[in-house]
Parts: sequence; structure tokens; C-alpha cells
Amino acid sequence: MTLRNKRFKSSLIALALAAASSAHAASVAITNAKVHTVTDAGVLENATVVIDNGVITAINPESVAADQVFDANGKVLTPGFISSMNQIGLVEVSAVAHSRDADAKKADITFDPSVAFNPKSSLISFTRKAGITANVTAPNGGDSMFKGQTFAAKLNGEFDSVFSAKNGVLVALGSESKGSRATNLLALTHKLEDAKKALDKAAKMAAKNGKDSKDKKEPKRSEQEINALLKGEKPLLVYVDRATDILAVLELKQRFNLDLVLLGAADAPLVAQQIADAKVPVVMGALRNLPGSFDSLHVNLANAGKLDKAGVNVVLTVDGDSHNAHQLRFDAGNAVANGMDYQEALAAVTANVADAFNLDTGRIAVGKPADIVLWSADPFELSTTVEQMWIDGEQQLLESRQDKLRDRYTTSSEMPRAYTK
Amino acid sequence: MKKLMPSLVMVAVSVALTGCMQSEQQDAKVTINKNPYPSTYQTLPQQTTLIKNATVLIGNGERLDNADVLFVDGKVSQVGQNLAADGATVIDGQGKWVTPGVIDVHSHYGVYPSPSVESHADGNEMTAPNTSEVWAEHSVWPQDPGFNAARAGGVTTLQILPGSANLFGGRGVTLKNVPSHTMQGMKFPNAPYGLKMACGENPKRVYGGRKEAPGTRMGNMAGYRMAWAEAAEYKRAWEKYDADYAAGKNPAAPVRDIELDTLKGVLDGEILIHNHCYKAEEMAMMVDLGKEFNYHSGTFHHAVEAYKIADMLGENGNCAAMWPDWWGFKMEAYDMVEENVAIVDAMKNSCAVVHSDSGTTIQRLNQEAAKVMYRANENGFALTEADAIRWITSNAAKSLGIADKTGSLEQGKNADVVIWNTNPFSVYALAEQVFVDGAKVYDRFDENYQAQSDFMLGQE
Repeated sequence: MTLRNKRFKSSLIALALAAASSAHAASVAITNAKVHTVTDAGVLENATVVIDNGVITAINPESVAADQVFDANGKVLTPGFISSMNQIGLVEVSAVAHSRDADAKKADITFDPSVAFNPKSSLISFTRKAGITANVTAPNGGDSMFKGQTFAAKLNGEFDSVFSAKNGVLVALGSESKGSRATNLLALTHKLEDAKKALDKAAKMAAKNGKDSKDKKEPKRSEQEINALLKGEKPLLVYVDRATDILAVLELKQRFNLDLVLLGAADAPLVAQQIADAKVPVVMGALRNLPGSFDSLHVNLANAGKLDKAGVNVVLTVDGDSHNAHQLRFDAGNAVANGMDYQEALAAVTANVADAFNLDTGRIAVGKPADIVLWSADPFELSTTVEQMWIDGEQQLLESRQDKLRDRYTTSSEMPRAYTK
Repeated sequence: MKKLMPSLVMVAVSVALTGCMQSEQQDAKVTINKNPYPSTYQTLPQQTTLIKNATVLIGNGERLDNADVLFVDGKVSQVGQNLAADGATVIDGQGKWVTPGVIDVHSHYGVYPSPSVESHADGNEMTAPNTSEVWAEHSVWPQDPGFNAARAGGVTTLQILPGSANLFGGRGVTLKNVPSHTMQGMKFPNAPYGLKMACGENPKRVYGGRKEAPGTRMGNMAGYRMAWAEAAEYKRAWEKYDADYAAGKNPAAPVRDIELDTLKGVLDGEILIHNHCYKAEEMAMMVDLGKEFNYHSGTFHHAVEAYKIADMLGENGNCAAMWPDWWGFKMEAYDMVEENVAIVDAMKNSCAVVHSDSGTTIQRLNQEAAKVMYRANENGFALTEADAIRWITSNAAKSLGIADKTGSLEQGKNADVVIWNTNPFSVYALAEQVFVDGAKVYDRFDENYQAQSDFMLGQE
């Protein structure tokens, strides 16, 4: 094996970090950084970011006062990236039934898998190493078109890392292997219509009878979730590909004043203007370019850039297995290579994700949680590495189970590998 | 008395047969046509081409800066400085990088094409644990839009394999990535066939789930051994037939068995093994299996744990075809390390290959190789682009048995060439022009060289 000494150096850094993260409440000033704020402030050269008690407390203060000062040497500082719509923390090994908590045959609109989230999953330390500080986890659901509710967790491996539970209602529409796409679309429409009628009726009754109207029946849990959508309290997240289906859900949004987010949206470029006018974000995979079905004949590597140029807020996600979520930064790079504006691509993996799922993170701004990544260079480049990461102001260990396996098999020993730890 | 009659007759008959055999006219020799679906591939219109002043990765570990690449009559003619050629089409390579055409040793394009509708699921003959009789080429739909997408990613050659449900999945076929409306029009002339085998979870899940053998890993091994034992007998029967015939006898030819033809082809050294096998301990057993039945165990595909047995792979001359970072979708993929390819590559006599098994990542094998290179270099390796390009060019060609024809920009090799707009190990790199046998088959800036499948034509 060649050049073992370099790795040795990086494990020393890891040890230093482990020590640092125990110094919990220390304030940190990161100086001399190229800061991508992903706010109107844009990109700041040679900037200083101060974090204290888990929050960003100052950017470019007149004087720096912090327990630790960290010189970034001009390197790139961004908000932590946010991966989404995968099963991180719910699935350890996809083909092992007893390691899966994202599927449930009877799952419906009330299914809240956040109670099953495992912050100690081996996916978390691995995903974190790719500059991802938070994740929006989505259930796979079951037979119902309602697949359940999404939740968001910080990827710090802590037991209290779920910071936004039940933050979106997931629905899958579109082509069906048995039956017609019309069935689910109608069922959703009718559910919204009926709930709206009931709410309107209750409001009328309340207005007529005064607030202490007696006939108030507690709505069922599933009804409460539909009501939450009608009140705009959380987004309706809709998996949908074909342009006709996109238009149909845009109409539902307008009619019922929903907070709508489109997922997948293969045909989105055909109706980009309508999506932009409706101010609906699109969560999509940047690399999707094969016409997998008759619902997705218009996928193209240029789609993310096209949608962005049309004025759509794009959120980039990694299609496929959750174990690949670490690819997010490279997918963003590919979006840029295929025509997306660089800063918009950066927003598509930070601020836009936070906005779509109503999360308080994804920007470097005073008052925001200190979820921050220091990169060796351009975060989208294959050659770039994560040098430092803070989640809620705490410095993170950047080592995974994979690193330990590599070390075990690249360290020579007279004893069997099992003794190398 | 009566009882004796038949045996006496038998003796008389056999004496008569033996007696006249030497003098009897021989029947026509029974031979097996080993190439019944021959390639009809024709080079596309091509001309003498000279790429000037590019960064050139030869594919053999060498890198040349400010170098020229000349191809004539579809072959690499020269790579060096200050080249000139009469009547050549000159391409300014300033700032650009040139590599051999990318080769994917593991694709299911055509047999699992887009759109992935029921009628198109033609890649996995999940009807018996041994289906050595099926040939992937008989399932290939040349109109799969994926072929065109991969060409835009620099892929000039790819092996189409059957799936991994079976212990023996059938024959794979190596194709040139040129548009054609027949499979034969893409078939790489004189490339050896591959036999797809599969270790581990898939066969035992598919058949065990039906309460058929194999239901366990030991059942898998038993299935391979039974099949090879049968193939060895079949081979002996043919050899005996050939020898007897050559000796002037008129022997009956063995009964033709299409399944055993494939296994015999492996034992004869004509067909290469491509073995879906993730785990270290299983690969070690497959190496021993090859020794037990006297064939070479070939290339291990999806070799997630190759790093644990990298030395053994080198010593035995196996290639390992790997992903940079796919993991966790099943137990046999749990022990991934991002440096797997680099660890295998560091061994003496190694053959590390980066493969896709994916309609998506096949379009970016350069990035797949780049991920390995950079992650390995962060952890103590000192790999260069010239090293890493071999994982998707010359080593892949070696795995497919076509390294004498393609995989590097050495004189006399097929002019399978990619011009990249920048360092292909950048996330922003795009293939600008792609050549197969010196013919331009893709140009990012010229729609005349952007093929479209029949399926996508006229879709609104």
C-alpha cells in the first residue's frame, strides 16, 4: 500500500475534533472564509462567521470575540447541505426486512415514521461526511395513496436530532399498474372538497352560534391532517410525473389554497411557466434522463436549469437508494455542468430545501442554526472534501464505519484482521 | 436355448459393426457453429483525424501534455508532438483532454431498456438456476434510448449481461456503442462471449423462495459443481467424438446440448466468466471452483469486498469490477469502502475495473473513477488521472478479452476516442466528441451526430 502517513495525519485531526466537540458551549469564530450565505448578502470573501450556543450570532463583526478562532484560509464555507426524500434513519439495509421502518401496508395520512428514526444508523455518519447536515426523511408508505408524513433530522447522530416531525403529507399520484390514475386523483379531490365543506360549515355554525357551539365533534386524526393541509399548516408533497397530472394538482392548489410541493415532476419543463406562476417548488433528481415510463418521456439533464430559469424554486435530491444520498453535491455539480446557475444549484441543496419543507436552516445568516460546512474547495467538485462541519454549532466527527473497514484492511498485521480496530 | 438367442445375435452384430467400422464410409463430421449470429457491424463514415495540443491519457498509465493524436483508417496511428497528416480533419484540442473510449463491462441496456415496462423485462431468465443456454444478445432491443445517453458520456463499448437471479444466467455479449436497428449491427467483431454467473443472495432468494434448490449459499456451490461436472463430461464426449472421427472411425456425435455448449466454451477457454459476486469469502470459493474444474474464474462483478482479498485476486489473475460507493441495499453490499478500487489496483498483477450496472451511472463512468481516485488520495494513495482512467478503459478491455483491439490509444488499436471539454475527473467535464473506429458517433455541438432512438422519435 502506498503512502500510509497521510491518513495517519487525518486521524490525528479526527482525534482533535472529538476533543473539540466535547467543549460544548464554546463560541467559535471562523475567519478568512469565502462564505456562500445563500441569502441576499450573496458570497462574502475573507469573511468571519461567529457561532455561539448553536446559532450564528454575527457575520463580519467589527471585532472578533470567541472562545476559539478557526482560520479558514480562504476556503469555502456554505450552509450544510440538506438531503431529502430518502429513508435515512428508517432503513439500515434495504433488503433486510427487520432493518426497515419506512414501509407499512396500512400506512395512511397519519403515518408518522419519525418515532422510528434511528440516529445511530450507519448511513448517518457516512452521509454527514458528504457535507450534509440535515435530512428530510420520507416514508414509503403502503397501499394508500397517502404514504405518510415526512420529518427532518439533523445528522449529528444525537437522540434528539429530529427537529421537525410531521412536516409534510406525502401523496403518490400518476400511472397505476392496476386501474386508472383518475381514481387517486378523484379521491384526493373529493377528500379536500369534503373537508373544505365541513370546515366551512363548522365556521358558519360557529359564527351563528358563537364560539361555544355544542355540536362540535372532534374530527378523526386523518381528517385533522386534511384540515391542516387546507389551513396551509404544512405542505402537500405530491409524487407526480406527467404534465397532465402536474396541471391537475396545480389546480387543486389554487382551488384549496394548498402549500404544494411537486416531487419528481419529470414533465415539469412542459409546464414550467404554470409551476412558476403558482410558486410551487419542484423536488427533483438532477441525473434523471432516461424515459423510464410513458409518464417520464421529458426527463433531461438540463431540466433543473430549465426550471430554474423559468422561475421555479428547484430542490435537488438524489434518486434511488438512501445509501447514495451522499452524492447530493455531485448531482448539483452535474446540474451546473448541464446549464444550471451555480448559485441556484447551491440554493437547490440548501435554502430551497429548507423553504420547501419549512425548516429553520439552510442559510448562513444571523439567528440561523449554525449548520455549516467548510470545504477544501468548490463543494460540487469530485476532488473537494469536507474539512470541518458544525451542526447546531457543534463540531462534527467526520469518520464512518467505512473508514474503519478501510483502515482495518490497509494496516498490516501478523494477526488476523479481526484484531485490527 | 431360446433365452440365449438375443445375446448371440448381439454379439454377432457388435462383431460385425466393429469389423466394418474401419472400412465404412464416415458420416459427415458434426461440428457446432460457434458464431451463428455473427456481427454485421460496419464502421460509420470516417476520415483521417488529427487532434492537436490536448492533454492525452493513453489508457496504459501514461499521460502526455500538449500532445497530438492521429487516427487513420479507423486505427490509432500516432500519439505524440507536432504530428501532421495530409488531408486530415484537424481538431483543436487546446484545453481539452483526450482519452480512450469508455468501456462498461456491466450493462443491461437493451435487455432492461427504457421505458422499463413489462414487455421490456428481457434480462433475467428466472426459470431455472442454470440457464447457460440463454444468450443476452437474443434479448437486446437496439432502440433502447440508453445507448445514446451513454454515448454522450463517452461510452464506446459495453458488455450486455443477463441478470443475476441464476447460478448461471446465460451468455453476455459485447457491443460497440453505435446506433443500429439490429443487435448484430452493434456486435463487437470477434469479442469473446461472457458467461454470467451469480454468487450469494440472489440465486438463493429467487429459488429458495420457491422451495427449490438452491436455498442457501451451500446450495449455490452445489449447483455450480453439479453443472461443471456435467459440462466436463460433455466436453469429454465431444473430445472423444473428435478423436474417434480423426482416427477414421464413424462415431455417433454426442447429443447437442445448448446449455452445456456454453459451459464447455468456458472449459475450452473461449468464453470468459463474469461473476456477480460481492463477498470476499465467496470470491475465494469461486476461485477454488475454477481450479477444481480447470477453468479461469474471470472477472468478479460488484466485488464490494474485493479489498479484503485484493492480494488473492492479483495472484490468481482475476479482474474485479466495482462501484466506487454503492452499498447497503443488501447485506452482501454492507461492507463497502470508498477506496475498494484503489486497494485492488495497488496489488501486483491487478485488474481493477469500475463498472456501472446502471443506466444512469454508465453515463458518468469518468466521475465514478474520479470519486475513487480522490477519496483514495485523501487516504494515503497517490493516484493520478493516468492511473485511474485505466479502470474504465484498458482494464475493462482486459476483462472483456478485447484489450488487443481497444482500451488504450496505442498504435494499431481501434480509434475509440473521447474528447472531453476539460479534465474528465471534474464534475463539470462533458464529452464533446466521441469516435468509434475513427468514425465520429457523437458531437455535443452538432445535432447531426446526436442519434435518437425510434422510440423517442416524434414523442411530444
